[in-house]
Order: sequence, then structure tokens, then C-alpha cells
Amino acid sequence: MRIVINRFFVASSLAAGMLLVVLLAVSASASAQRSGFHGGGARASAHTSINRPVQRPQGGNVNRGANINRNIDSNRTVNRNVNRNVNVDVNYHDDHWNHWDDHPFATAAAVTAGVAVTSAVIGSIVNSVPPSCVTTVINGMAYQQCGNVWYEPRYAGTTVQYVVINPPR
Amino acid sequence: MSSAIPPVAWSACLMLAALAPVAHGATRVATPVSPPAAPADAPERDPEALAALDRMGAALRALKQFSLTSDASTEIVLEDGQKVELDGVVTYKVRAPNQLFLELRSDRQLRQLFYDGKALSLYSPRLKYYAQVDGLNSTLGELVDDAAARYGIDMPLADMFLWGTDKAPKTAIRGALHIGGGTVDGEAIEQYAFKQDGVDWQLWVSKATALPKKLVITSLDDPALPQYRAHLRWDTRSAVPATAFQFTPPADAARIKLVPVAVVVTDAGQEN
Repeated sequence: MRIVINRFFVASSLAAGMLLVVLLAVSASASAQRSGFHGGGARASAHTSINRPVQRPQGGNVNRGANINRNIDSNRTVNRNVNRNVNVDVNYHDDHWNHWDDHPFATAAAVTAGVAVTSAVIGSIVNSVPPSCVTTVINGMAYQQCGNVWYEPRYAGTTVQYVVINPPR
Repeated sequence: MSSAIPPVAWSACLMLAALAPVAHGATRVATPVSPPAAPADAPERDPEALAALDRMGAALRALKQFSLTSDASTEIVLEDGQKVELDGVVTYKVRAPNQLFLELRSDRQLRQLFYDGKALSLYSPRLKYYAQVDGLNSTLGELVDDAAARYGIDMPLADMFLWGTDKAPKTAIRGALHIGGGTVDGEAIEQYAFKQDGVDWQLWVSKATALPKKLVITSLDDPALPQYRAHLRWDTRSAVPATAFQFTPPADAARIKLVPVAVVVTDAGQEN
């Protein structure tokens, strides 16, 4: 419920130019959340081995952290959308299958984890970034700069996630 | 949260299964513990099927090196129970005891994993990101556990490194059936079906090599019972070069972090 309300706020507080994109994101989120707690997409996937102890609840293992924090979302939406955009969607996503997919086909593909102290954007996690982003290597590590927003790509399991960070200087 | 129900039901079954022999023992005073005929409600454990597992484990552990290419299909369960199948190819190049190359190629994703006995490298040839971690001084049997437990990397068909070791104990097998003979790829096989915690699985073993030719794993922890099926092609003759296990980052590749599982959880709470 809280999330829905926040989205309303989002839509009403954004500039008109952003509106369409936001609506798209919101509708994607809404469809992803249709069935409630699990978010969207998949709820399970087949185990690919027999004897290895399964530490994950089901299927995908990579977004464990995000799952744990899905309830924290409530504070974040407001701040984030003041700052920017859209790809950093509110939607937590328990996407068991996105670890198969570098271009997720099911959802807006956003996971969120964590709440930043100063800016709600920081710490958000998405599974893809806009194609316009520029790869920048600092101290041997790669970052994605998209306008004034910086993402740190990282592997969580075999999934590449992008974490919104403060500019790495 | 309908998915919470099956595990409970499953553990209830487990408890019943565990209790059944006790009840029998109580009524049959001074009966030896080993039950030649299993109780009617317990799954059959065919000694021949178990012996086939032993042979396969021994054959796998006897391989000093191999290449394994597998067509693999993974069923994904959507929220409403609808199943989607994702197809891919899993390729292993292996040298015992501690060198491995793994490629996971599907319509959705491409990943390569290199393990040279020390460093584990993960690479996405399309995204051009790689990650490296050191200090994993593991045999391959330990690696599949470590990679999963420490880094959330799930290596498919990990059993190839576990069968024939104490990481795949026969005590874990609650049901074992010999289904019968047949052929896979024109090769004579015997088919078996097994039950373990959380999975029912079927195995097609080559009569000539005792290596698995086909594997179907049915996951029981979701009511939709998603399956993983793999069709395995072995090359145990061609030499696997040592360079197969060494990852040299291409010039246009960029390094990123591989987040340890524990840190993923921590980060989620306090990342900034």
C-alpha cells in the first residue's frame, strides 16, 4: 500500500517530461507486483544440481539481499524522484530468473536494497542502465556514469547489478 | 506465499518417513535393524540402482580431465504457476583436482567462469565485465560449495564433482529405482529414478562408460515442480590445455566487484 501511495506522489511531483517514462515504470512495477509479496516475474526455478546444499529459499540466489530489505522501501521514493529518474524504480524485485538475463524480459528489472542517509537514490540497485551511460574506469574498477548519476556495476552471483553510488572521486 | 506450504508438507512427509521405521521396530521386538523389505510406505531403494550410482561416482572420480557439453533446459515458475523454459548450453572443461572452466550460455545470458586452482574469475563476454577473487584453495568438490555459499554462484550439474565423494552420501537417497535399459545418442544406457530431499531425479547412465548421459531434476519445493533437464556429451580423450583455466582480461574488459553473499545482505541494509 505504501508503495502505491508513494508512486502517486512520484507521478504528481515530476516534471511533465518525465511523466511518460515514470508512468511506464510504474505500470511495469504494478504488473510486477500484481501478485503481492513476491514482486513479479518468477517465484521459483528448477534446481540445477542434486547434492549441493541449497542455501537459497528457491530458485535464484543472487538477490537475496534485496529481498530482505524490501520493506524498507517506504521512505525512499519521495527523495529519489526529486533527484531523478525512473530507472531506479521503487520496485523491489525478487527476480529469480533475471540471473539468466542481461536484458530482463519480464519487468522494469529493478531491485532496491538499502536506504541512504543523505539521498534516497544511493544504494538503489537496478539490473540494467540506460544505453547512454558511459563506462568510466577509476582505480581499475569500472563505473557507469549516466548524467550526474553514478552506478557501480557488480556481480551478485552471476548477475550483474548496478548500484547507485556517490560519484567515485 | 503459497510457496511456503510445500516445504511444510514436505517436512511432514519426512517426519512420517522417519517415524515409520521406528514404529515398526517397536512392534517387532529384537528384529535386526536392517530391514530387508522396506516398510510399505517407504520408497524402494533398489540395491542395483544404488550400485549404479557407485559405479558412476567411481567413473567420475577416475577422470583426470574431461570436457562436458550439455544442452540444458531450466523451468522457471511464474507467480501464477505458469512455467517457462529457458534453454542453454553448459560447457565444462576440467582437470582434476582443482582446475575448471565453465561457460553458461543461454538465450538470455552468457557467463564464463575460470578457476585455476587459486583465483576464481567470472566474466561476461557481452557486458565486458569481469570479477576475480583469490584465496579459494579448493578442490572442485569444495569449489562448487564455496562458490555458492560465499558468492552465490550456482554451478549447474555440480554433482559431477560430488558423486563418488562424501558430499553425495548414499544415505541422502530415500528412493532408488531401476527403470530399465535403452539408448541415448545411440549409446546403450540404463535408466534410474531417485528421490532425495527437495528433488526427485532421473538418471540415464552409459553402460559402456558408467558416465551420466542424461539427467532430469524435479524440484519439489515449488508446487509447480519445475524441472531441469540436461543432455550430457562427454569428451574424456581430448587434452584440455592449461590455458583453458586461465583468465586474461581482454583489453576492453573492465573489472567490477563480486559481492560476497554475506556482504550482499549487509549492503542491503546500509549501503551508501
